[in-house]
Amino acid sequence: MRRRTFLARLGAGALGGVGTAAMARKRPQAAAPAGPAGGDAHRGGHDGMGTVGRVDHARNGFDPHRILEDFDTGTVSRDRQGRVVHEYEIVTFPKDIEVAPGVVYPAWTYDGRVPGPTIRVTEGDRVRIRFVNGSAHPHTMHFHGFHAAGMDGVPGAGEVEPGASFTYDFVAEPYGTHLYHCHSLPLREHLARGLYGAFIVDPAGGRPEAHEMVMVMNAFDTDFDGENEVYAANTVAFAYDVDPVPLHAGELQRLHVVNVTEHDPLNSIHLHATFFRLFRTGTSLEPHEVTDVVTMGQAERHMLEFTYREPGRYMFHAHQTEFSELGWTGIFEVS
Amino acid sequence: MHGGDVHPVEQRDGERPIERRPRPGRLGRPGRPGRLARASPLALAATPLLALVLVVAVLLVVDPVRAVTGTVPVESLAVERVVLEPGRIELRVRNDGRTDVTLAQVQVNGAYWQHTTDEPRLGRLGGTRVVLDYPWERGVPLRIALVTGTGVVVDHEIDNPRETLRPSGETARRLAVLGLLIAPVPIAIGLAWLPAVRRSRPAWFDAAMAFTVGLLAFLVVDSAAEGLDAAGEAPGVLDGVGLFAVGALGSVAVLAAAGDAGRGTVRMPGHGDTAVRLAVLVAVGIGLHNFGEGLAVGAAISTGEVALGTALVVAFTLHNATEGLAIAGPLGGAASASPGPGVRGARRSRAWVVGALAGLIAISGLPVVGGLWLGGLVLPAGWAALAFGVAAGAVAQVAWAVARWLHGRGAALTPLNAGAFVAAVVAMYLTGVLAG
Repeated sequence: MRRRTFLARLGAGALGGVGTAAMARKRPQAAAPAGPAGGDAHRGGHDGMGTVGRVDHARNGFDPHRILEDFDTGTVSRDRQGRVVHEYEIVTFPKDIEVAPGVVYPAWTYDGRVPGPTIRVTEGDRVRIRFVNGSAHPHTMHFHGFHAAGMDGVPGAGEVEPGASFTYDFVAEPYGTHLYHCHSLPLREHLARGLYGAFIVDPAGGRPEAHEMVMVMNAFDTDFDGENEVYAANTVAFAYDVDPVPLHAGELQRLHVVNVTEHDPLNSIHLHATFFRLFRTGTSLEPHEVTDVVTMGQAERHMLEFTYREPGRYMFHAHQTEFSELGWTGIFEVS
Repeated sequence: MHGGDVHPVEQRDGERPIERRPRPGRLGRPGRPGRLARASPLALAATPLLALVLVVAVLLVVDPVRAVTGTVPVESLAVERVVLEPGRIELRVRNDGRTDVTLAQVQVNGAYWQHTTDEPRLGRLGGTRVVLDYPWERGVPLRIALVTGTGVVVDHEIDNPRETLRPSGETARRLAVLGLLIAPVPIAIGLAWLPAVRRSRPAWFDAAMAFTVGLLAFLVVDSAAEGLDAAGEAPGVLDGVGLFAVGALGSVAVLAAAGDAGRGTVRMPGHGDTAVRLAVLVAVGIGLHNFGEGLAVGAAISTGEVALGTALVVAFTLHNATEGLAIAGPLGGAASASPGPGVRGARRSRAWVVGALAGLIAISGLPVVGGLWLGGLVLPAGWAALAFGVAAGAVAQVAWAVARWLHGRGAALTPLNAGAFVAAVVAMYLTGVLAG
């Protein structure tokens, strides 16, 4: 009974509240992208390769293009010691999502979206997350970062039973590109079903002004045979291929890439026609190397900075070509 | 069932006189004739049917199975036919599961590939065409995955892709030539042993018949194996094994009934008519087997599953020459067993004999051409299960008839006969291995 009324509240309350607050922090759009949201005619010249039709993002309740630039700072206040506090309420519940046109996957979600909200705070800020379990299985939020053992979000420390809640409370450290995910058992299943998200901690001194994006590299085993049928950045196969990502030439791009791919040991990102400065795990202010491809194991994540010199269409994709042709490929439309 | 209420009027000859008055049924009212007694048999037969319809309706509405398992049946799709043209793949897909299926996406060799369908939403047994522009290469295997709306993946592999035969006069002609080469021609050659069999002593004639029985026995096993193999390729909803069983048992029953009808003549050993009748029976059995063979080979050619090389054709030729010898067996007896007035075959005109032999060759060999046409150009592979079923049943029946006839002749199981039987089986096996 309690859970039913609670679930009824979910659709409007939790989702709308947290979601819209988060959407507010969007980068100012300088110019409209060249051309309308392209159909198949706009695809990057790979004859015949790709899916047929379009994903109904509205029915999914989230759009990879918004997730790309959707950084959630929560409700910001200060505690008695003067420390900045970011407060969130995140609800986990199951939801069928369209991961490729017409292909529906029974996902487990944080706040109804996959990946979950991109939590963004500054180093030293306090993070308080009221985590509510609206599903039939126990779940957690396990953050990669410093925190007390009791805040680890594992079975025995912050695992939340169905219908219950728990508040994770920690100071965000170190700065970098991080992630959170469910750590309930069986772990592989809880990750594969969609319980993960990016956790970005900015250095106290900030970083140079840039257009920032987040891509969570994920995959879906739609027939549950231990192999993925769909690969993507931010869940929807070919989303940035069907509708390219608009960028501006000469503008500094900062891309946070998190790998949560299940069932495959590695995933990667490769940018066409440019090189990027690689900040491994984002934990340094100086780049580790300059390259155009980086390969990551699960939970590895990096920060990439790059600039396109000239307008044009530039592909980006996993350089496991198998993954790219199963959905993890996209296009930067540089104007 | 209790006789009291179902058959109010009982009548058993010799046990008791006919009772005109109905006995009071346990549930009926005493003294009144039961209403059932007056009902027509047709109405009585319809009653259980109505009850069945009612129960089925209730099952469909209430769906008690769903209540027990709580799950939706798994989606299923079958690829019935693949048509390959340069740069183009066409699939005929059918929903052979127990629930509606939406065909959402298609992968080719592990990459999503754009496609068009006539209708992506398929009801039960619904079919559609799926067309992809894909640069496939001859001989390089294709792995096609159909992804349904719920993410179920149906794999279909084309091991040895090649351009699909187009239904045209030219294709039909080529298949016909192939068919003639692999069945009627070698069967005719096998029949050329007939003079030798005719002139041999009765013991050798018996051996020839034992050879025929051995060959037929082998064909029964071969038909069953091929049929069950084809059954595996039939779409789930067709129930390939069931198809095979219907074909096999049906043909046994039909041929047994036909055999019974002509029992009087079949039991006259050495009679010319009997010999011809037996030879026709053997030819029919072999013809049915060859029809199934044609279906299977045609389907395999059209889907690129076999590379039909010269070696295979040579093997088929040897295989089928043995079949000609089997038909020659019973005919040989017409001359050797009883040189009396009954040997009409001996007195027939030369033209009649040639015509009869041509007819036997046609019955046993030509079906392969029909099979090649149907299998290569029209039918999905699964239907070969039915054809092989019919063949298995028919050949078994014929083998039994020939063995019985041989037994009726008083032919004992001599080492020579047993050896001939085994020789036939081994010959078929060896030529089959060449073809395999």
